Amino acid sequence: MKKLTNILFIGLLVYGTSCKKYLDINTNPNSATVESAAPELILPQALVGTASNLNGFNSYGSQLVGYMANAGGYGGFGTSVTYKFGSSDFQGRWSTTYDNLEDYQTILNLTNDKLPQYAYFNAAARIMKAYSFQLLVDAYNDVPYIEALQGSDKLTTKYDKGAAVYTSLANQLDSAIATINEAETATGVTPLGPADVIFGGDAESWIKLANTLKLRLIIHAKDKTSFANTTFDKAGFLTEDALINPGFKRDNGRQNPQWEAWAFTYTLSAGNKAWMPNKFVFGFYDGNKLSDPGRGKAIYYQFPTTGVNQLGHEGNDVVSSPTGSFWYPGSDRSSAPGNTTGVLKGPDAGYPAFLASESYFLQAEAVVKGILTSGDAKTLFNEGIKASFKYLYALPGGTLQGDPDADAENYISENDGSKLVNFDLASTPAEKTEAIITQKYIALNFIHGHEAWNEYRRTHYPTIKTTPGANAYETFASTQSESTRPDRLPTRILYPSVEGSLNTANVPKDISPFTSFIFWALQ
Amino acid sequence: MRKILSMLVLSMLYFTVFAQPQTITGKVVDKNGQPVENASVIVKSTRKGTSADPQGKFTLTAKKGDVLVISAIGFKNLEFTLKEQTSFSVVLENAESLMDEVIVTAGGIKSKRREIGTANTSIKAEVLTTGKAVNVAGGLQGKVAGLQINATGGGVNPNYRLILRGQRSLTGNNQALIVLDNVIVPNAVLGNLNPEDVEEIVVLNGSGAAALYGSQASNGAIVVTTKKGRRGLTQVRVSNTTTIEQVAFFPKIQKKFGAGGSGYGTDENGQPVFSYLENQSYGPAFDGVKRPLGAPLEDGSQDSAVYAYNDGHNKFWKKGITNQSDFSLTNGDENSTFYLSGQYANVTGTTPGDKYNRASFRLNGTRKIGNMVSVTYSSAYTQNRYDITTQTGSMYANMLNMPSNVDITKYKNWRTDKFANPNGFYNPWYQNPYFTADNYRSLQRNDYLTGNIEVRFTPIKGLGFVARQGIATRNYSNKNTVGAFDYTDYAEHTDASSKTDIPASVSDGSSYTTNLLSDLFAQYNLKKGDYSFNLIAGGQWRQDQAKYVGVSANGLVVPGLFNVSNGVGTPGAAESNFKARQMGFYGDLRIGYKNYLFLHGTGRNDWVSILAPENRSFFYPSVDLSFVASDAFEAIKHSKTISYLKIRGGWSKVGQVNLGNSGDFGAYYLSPTISPNAYGFPYGSLAGYTVDNVLISKSLRPEITKGYEVGFDLNLLKDRIVTNITWYSTKTDNQTVNTSVTPTTGYTVLRTNTGQTQSRGLEVTAHFTPVRTRNWNVTVGGNYTYLDNKVNNISADLPKLPLATYGSGAGSYAVPLQPFPVIMGYDYKRDPAGHVIIDPSNGLPSKTDTISVLGNAVAKNRVSFDGSVSYKNFHFSILFEYRGGYKIFNSMGSEMDWSGTGYRTAVYNRERFVFPNSVYEDPNKPGTYITNTNITVKNGNGNAGFWSDNINRDVTSNYVTSGDFWKLREVSISYDLPASLLSKTKFIKAATISLQGRNLFVWLAKDNYYTDPEYSDAGNDNNGIGLTGLGQTPPSRFYGATLSVTF
Repeated sequence: MKKLTNILFIGLLVYGTSCKKYLDINTNPNSATVESAAPELILPQALVGTASNLNGFNSYGSQLVGYMANAGGYGGFGTSVTYKFGSSDFQGRWSTTYDNLEDYQTILNLTNDKLPQYAYFNAAARIMKAYSFQLLVDAYNDVPYIEALQGSDKLTTKYDKGAAVYTSLANQLDSAIATINEAETATGVTPLGPADVIFGGDAESWIKLANTLKLRLIIHAKDKTSFANTTFDKAGFLTEDALINPGFKRDNGRQNPQWEAWAFTYTLSAGNKAWMPNKFVFGFYDGNKLSDPGRGKAIYYQFPTTGVNQLGHEGNDVVSSPTGSFWYPGSDRSSAPGNTTGVLKGPDAGYPAFLASESYFLQAEAVVKGILTSGDAKTLFNEGIKASFKYLYALPGGTLQGDPDADAENYISENDGSKLVNFDLASTPAEKTEAIITQKYIALNFIHGHEAWNEYRRTHYPTIKTTPGANAYETFASTQSESTRPDRLPTRILYPSVEGSLNTANVPKDISPFTSFIFWALQ
Repeated sequence: MRKILSMLVLSMLYFTVFAQPQTITGKVVDKNGQPVENASVIVKSTRKGTSADPQGKFTLTAKKGDVLVISAIGFKNLEFTLKEQTSFSVVLENAESLMDEVIVTAGGIKSKRREIGTANTSIKAEVLTTGKAVNVAGGLQGKVAGLQINATGGGVNPNYRLILRGQRSLTGNNQALIVLDNVIVPNAVLGNLNPEDVEEIVVLNGSGAAALYGSQASNGAIVVTTKKGRRGLTQVRVSNTTTIEQVAFFPKIQKKFGAGGSGYGTDENGQPVFSYLENQSYGPAFDGVKRPLGAPLEDGSQDSAVYAYNDGHNKFWKKGITNQSDFSLTNGDENSTFYLSGQYANVTGTTPGDKYNRASFRLNGTRKIGNMVSVTYSSAYTQNRYDITTQTGSMYANMLNMPSNVDITKYKNWRTDKFANPNGFYNPWYQNPYFTADNYRSLQRNDYLTGNIEVRFTPIKGLGFVARQGIATRNYSNKNTVGAFDYTDYAEHTDASSKTDIPASVSDGSSYTTNLLSDLFAQYNLKKGDYSFNLIAGGQWRQDQAKYVGVSANGLVVPGLFNVSNGVGTPGAAESNFKARQMGFYGDLRIGYKNYLFLHGTGRNDWVSILAPENRSFFYPSVDLSFVASDAFEAIKHSKTISYLKIRGGWSKVGQVNLGNSGDFGAYYLSPTISPNAYGFPYGSLAGYTVDNVLISKSLRPEITKGYEVGFDLNLLKDRIVTNITWYSTKTDNQTVNTSVTPTTGYTVLRTNTGQTQSRGLEVTAHFTPVRTRNWNVTVGGNYTYLDNKVNNISADLPKLPLATYGSGAGSYAVPLQPFPVIMGYDYKRDPAGHVIIDPSNGLPSKTDTISVLGNAVAKNRVSFDGSVSYKNFHFSILFEYRGGYKIFNSMGSEMDWSGTGYRTAVYNRERFVFPNSVYEDPNKPGTYITNTNITVKNGNGNAGFWSDNINRDVTSNYVTSGDFWKLREVSISYDLPASLLSKTKFIKAATISLQGRNLFVWLAKDNYYTDPEYSDAGNDNNGIGLTGLGQTPPSRFYGATLSVTF
């Protein structure tokens, strides 16, 4: 008996030495672990993630701001046409943005103490973090910011006031610009190289993006909060469209996300056919409000006989969407669709992070409001229109089809009776702002619907008729609206259900889609 | 197969020796020489027999070589082989009763019942196979106290979730450990085991009883032993069972209104605009009028339907047929035994086109080599093949959406019938289910090999060494296909059409899983005076390994060629590999005193590869005591009433590493990962990684379950009444939790150690045999389980854990100080007295802002009643099961209300109504409420009114119902062909014909008109029970017949 115990015991000891070897087999052969994460690996994916997220934001804004209406062949639009939002409406915007933000945060965590070596990565991540948080504040107002993105250190996160987040974002953009400027004169700094799928590693463009983002923050909120520093780096503002393009192409999961969602999948199946152009925005092209055949043809299928509808109008008279949607103007709808103008240019087109036209319109408004002391509002306004034509006339590869500058001139002269086009006719600051915001509304059509929606809520432009019986060209409010507001529009979306169930104590309560406002909103 | 069988039968004939029958007389007495009245005398393997008269005398006809079995209540069975003698007397020994029966317990150790201090239940082969369930788990349902078996879905080979003594782990594995012939095997093996091969199943309810199996045993264990053959018995048995499966329950739908909708605004007269294209059932009331259905076709024709109820949806589901053929051969001599079996089961499902078959072979045996060595081996090979549609859930959902005036069965011939063809099918949103079933297919194959070899070396009496090697391996492949369908231009672009082309796609996957288990232990028995000692010490090594590879392609170019090389774009590809190891050393000591008091203790230390080195070792002990009072006290020993009384109790602690799942064994869970394939990466040479969304706490440890159980086994009136009662209580700490966290953390899932659950309950089994004579045998009884399963705490950071939730946030949650789990969701806003508050301007209620607890999701009380009656050659048995005291959330309700088929939607005839039990706030006295008797909801219709609106459909409590049910689980009646008839065939020893049914009837709580509350929408491995949905086929009943012949 004792012998047996001894044998077992010795056996156990012998085994003990090889035991470690026997058990040390827990190295993951399937996935790289976070230890392998490097800024060069994370940044490109995070930027493409932002493009994908922007596609979602565009859909949300385009629904609300009169770019899109429900198409024939589909029913059950529910809150999309009643505006009685629940916590599950648009909830992907919240989770996708924070998921994307986590990647930028990871780059910051990896590089904060590796400056200036990783200065460009750090600055790019900081700028994109500000970019994404602005998306959140503009959609949700108060959001977790200071306690957010801390992983297990903060499992439930406190909400910060939207205005406070805004001022902090402006500071972050300043600090990112300073980091880049310091890096320009330092040695041994890792260039962004191919990881920068927006500017191809051009540091100055990043400063311009940061400047323009900061300008957007200040223009949104200058009357509601104060910013520590309202000057801008000498690099100036964006003059070219900032396009995210890692090499989008017609392949499994590699298409331009907006093309993938609305036009064709890589197998050439139809994208989402449940939506079609809204009459309200269409009126700015087809002569109902303004005449713009150049951009109309660039964007829409069979313009000006494109199928259009008013949001909320359902019935058998609503036409169904063609395969590839009404926003894809090309006639090739089966063999190799793509390579065209407008918004859905093709599977390989870059996804705009910031349009040059928006940059010009922001500057024009800044001049009108005295935020920028140099520059001419009319010149900037007209540059904005030209930049819009230029973006919409470009093919996926960047070459222009037609002459955008000439067509822009034509547009301005053909509509010179309208103070929405002829800046000289806009005499008061309010009229100037209306012209700028309305043109921005046209320029952002189905590209950055969320920003157009922000600007509507901030300025109430483009002007809509709030009297009963307003027709589809006069208001973009849904016919089935249950909004209690005079304009029959909602004011915001609700926090997602995940916050109600997982961050219950912190999530703001009693938010209404009709009476709760983003802090910069015009009530 | 059939050919082999007949050859076997033929070859057996040569071994059968025939002899002349003769008349035998005898007398049965007890050890004091007193006659034993009514003793039964049976010729073994036949039903031939007689019973003794009051003087213990009997007469019967038998022949030399027959084995006589003599039995009587209170005495041990006696078997002996007839030699030359024709007259004799037999002495029956007093039965040691059930308490000396030997059962297999943890680690394959055989122990006498009297020694065991923990609760266990033994299920014999004949009890298991009464209902002829294809799946062993199905055959166990309702038969064991404390064991809850849920068929979590339907289909040709449904999954079963087996839970002993409630759930312990918040988000980890709670399913009982499955042990097949001493080898720990994956749950799936149980579903692919031939039930006819099972000799016995021992259920070790508590973690203490199972501690020797290592850390997984905290969930209790189900120990399956297969047949090994018997010494001196040569027998061939063949049987065939045909079972019909029929859908037994459909959700209750409204039968008043048909297709269409009027939610398209108002016309110039203010009347709602009606659309016949609308697939919702918010159209005209059933009036017998024929109306158009869907859009006109290209040729101008248009489908139509009569507005009257049609039960076509129900007729869509077919009668499934299961055909099971079995054969087995057993043989044994002094040195070896041998068991060979085969089974072929062929199943067609209730979903049109679904097929499944399973073939299995088993070879088991024992062999003595010399005096000191004996070898036991068992091996089984099973292959199954599925040919099913991947879309059963969506087809079911689509049909519940379809108006009930439309007869779906007329759309069967979608290839030839223009209205059934996808181009012309009336419903633009949902496919014709017949087309769906044909177009979305999955072929799957599984090959399982399980085997075990055990060598026992007994150098001296009392000392034994055992070495065991087991293997369970699964080889799997599947091919899922979607056929292409190109719609005509007309179908695609006609007004109001949303039809879009379906590209062909294929995905192909293969995997293997291999579990290896090695045991080495020594066993030493010693008897000294009044004391006995039984010591076991040993070690166990386990390795689990798996590999999965999957490829897929889309947009297949050549029609009908389902190969990944035939796609466009880059094919999808994924690979994963897992390996985990565990080893443990254990000791087990049992000290007996005078054969009536037993103290038993175990200790085991485990080392696991899947935890960090500093946490990978953990020790856990258990102790239990068994006291056979009926032997210890003279008063009880001689009692006429009490024949057996054992009092038992035990305490145990078991560690469990609850990481991962059965597919990955918890390997590689310690480090957060980054993924290379997000958003299409890589793009050419440009790589990009995203940080994955799982947060992992720094130091994951095993979760520890501590608990005790006490109970007694009491048999009365010479074992005519047999009872077992056990009370247990366990607490599980340091839960390994995978839970959702707010995405604002940057992550969505957190993996950490936190929280405590508690499970307490009572398990009672009682059986009564009022009649036992030669012709009659009647037994009635049942079991009762009370379960109090709750969450004691989680952590300050995590006020509740979502276990399984729907997009709205409603679902199954773990909440501190609540039962585990609870259903949470939205309710109507209510006044303090519980009345629903409405808005007096429109009569509408409103939904709560946050979710709240709507009910306990775990059955508090479970009861089963069984009864069996034998009269001569007839045998009848029946089993009822009840579960009660819990709620379920029927998520399909919201979908049905959306579509207008929901029963609720027509209770007010689609007219305006006063919301029941409602109040509104007194405008003059805010905070006080006035009972609402006259304010009606503004629109009582659907489509754009109350029923399809969020205010109805998003309120979870509308669809939370009682989960209580009674089920008639099993009924069987069998008839043994009389020996007189069989003797004419010369070689058939026994033949039985039986009819049996399973799940024949279900009685649900009145408010539950949706589906079987046993189902779990969260799937087999999720602890978030209490949710049912549309993902499963409707519940079925099974009935069939079996012919079995023994040679």
